[in-house]
Amino acid sequence: MIRALYSAASGMTAQQLNIDNIANNLANANSAGYKSRRAQFQDLLYQNMVTPGSSAGQSTVVPTGLQLGLGTRASSNEIIFQQGDFAATNNPLDMVIQGRGFFQIKQASGQTAYTRAGSFHLDNTGSLVTSDGDQLQPQITIPPTAQAISIATDGTVTYTLPGQAQAQNAGQITLANFQNPAGLNSLGRSLYLPTDASGDATIGTPGGTEGIGTLQQGYLEQSNVSVVDEFINLITSQRAYEANSKVVKAADDMYQQVNNLTR
Amino acid sequence: MDAISIAAASGMRARMESLELLANNLANTETGGYKADREFYSLYTSADASADPQTGALATLPVIEHHWTDPAQGDLHQTGNPLDFAIDGDGLFSVQTSRGLRYTRNGNFRLSPAGVLTTSGGDAVQAKGGGTIRLQPGIAVEVSSDGSVRQGAQLSGQLDLASFDPQAMNKEGHNYFALVAGGSVKPAAGGAVLQGKLEGSNAGGPESAVRLVSIMRQFEMLQKAMSIGNELNRRAIEEVARVQQ
Repeated sequence: MIRALYSAASGMTAQQLNIDNIANNLANANSAGYKSRRAQFQDLLYQNMVTPGSSAGQSTVVPTGLQLGLGTRASSNEIIFQQGDFAATNNPLDMVIQGRGFFQIKQASGQTAYTRAGSFHLDNTGSLVTSDGDQLQPQITIPPTAQAISIATDGTVTYTLPGQAQAQNAGQITLANFQNPAGLNSLGRSLYLPTDASGDATIGTPGGTEGIGTLQQGYLEQSNVSVVDEFINLITSQRAYEANSKVVKAADDMYQQVNNLTR
Repeated sequence: MDAISIAAASGMRARMESLELLANNLANTETGGYKADREFYSLYTSADASADPQTGALATLPVIEHHWTDPAQGDLHQTGNPLDFAIDGDGLFSVQTSRGLRYTRNGNFRLSPAGVLTTSGGDAVQAKGGGTIRLQPGIAVEVSSDGSVRQGAQLSGQLDLASFDPQAMNKEGHNYFALVAGGSVKPAAGGAVLQGKLEGSNAGGPESAVRLVSIMRQFEMLQKAMSIGNELNRRAIEEVARVQQ
């Protein structure tokens, strides 16, 4: 009986976590480059009440035993790296990666982080930075007098100076690729850090054969959260929570009746 | 104790175990590839029980003899993740764990840093004929319905789908099934592997609500029966033995 109470409680905790995850996905439905996460659950250990194969009588054995499960637990919430929609922004410093790659960002601490959000700006030294001011790696510098900044699909950045017809080369954007992107560690601010599970970054130029992807200038990758799917998950999760709370109530009622046996 | 109370107490104990099975099912309504447990009621006959001298019937009591796992197909959810697999029909994925081969219906797989296809817990998925499935980074993965994993034109391996009698498997937690001692596995026939989909749990739904209500009501009836037994005992003690003056 106490097992039923704890199993139901574990179900309620798991659904709570599921709803926390859905809430974060929905809150980020408009964050550029955000990748949704999906919670995964596992059943807990089983308690053997009657072990299969034990003897039931002098000449018979129990063919299958009685196993009572002890509830559920959240096992992981993996990142779903499905491509988000592209929105045209006409900002020459916005870009999307059409493929699996990541931009490399040098954080203030000096550590390199990775992102899919390709919304860049120029800082006071003319370097390409994220909206938080972290520099894009490798560093791209554009002089203040530059006009018509162009980013090719292979990551070559060029600009023209006033009165000159010849385009100037500002540098080459390279992208990072991971063996298992779902194993990356979210840092917030759309940044990811590599872990043992994701493997180390391999750097390549866009458009290469490694499947890293190509760059498209003037577009931003939208969040890949599907609001419809999240709402459906929210409904099923809420109902599952309710069902577990009903089990708590039922176990409590039955317990009460046991206690009322003696008057 | 009298016969009514003994029978009612045995029934109440069995309903409590039923509720425990149901609680675990309902807690796992969102667990990928979970298969619901059902109870199997039986009559317990004690080896030492003496037959009723008038009818010759043995004294029997209701108990849950064992549970059985409902192998029914769970709902298939579209996830779009190329490393999510669901089996439509018969079969389980074979997984190499540190404790030996285990089987699961949860096809939420990923790649290890070395490029090996593993479960979310990091255990390697077994390929047909033994060994693991190793994938190259950055090349699209395609899986056909027979479980063959391809990258471009190159075959990386085939998922090893196993099938066995539901009676011959034991649940182990972490979405794993283990073979009971003496059970045997045969290759699955008729199951199709679907890529980008995950199988949901087959527990939950309106049927569970009905079961919950029925367990509660049956328990209540048994509790009433027990009260009646008590009441009869009380009267026998207090009233039958009363000496009229």
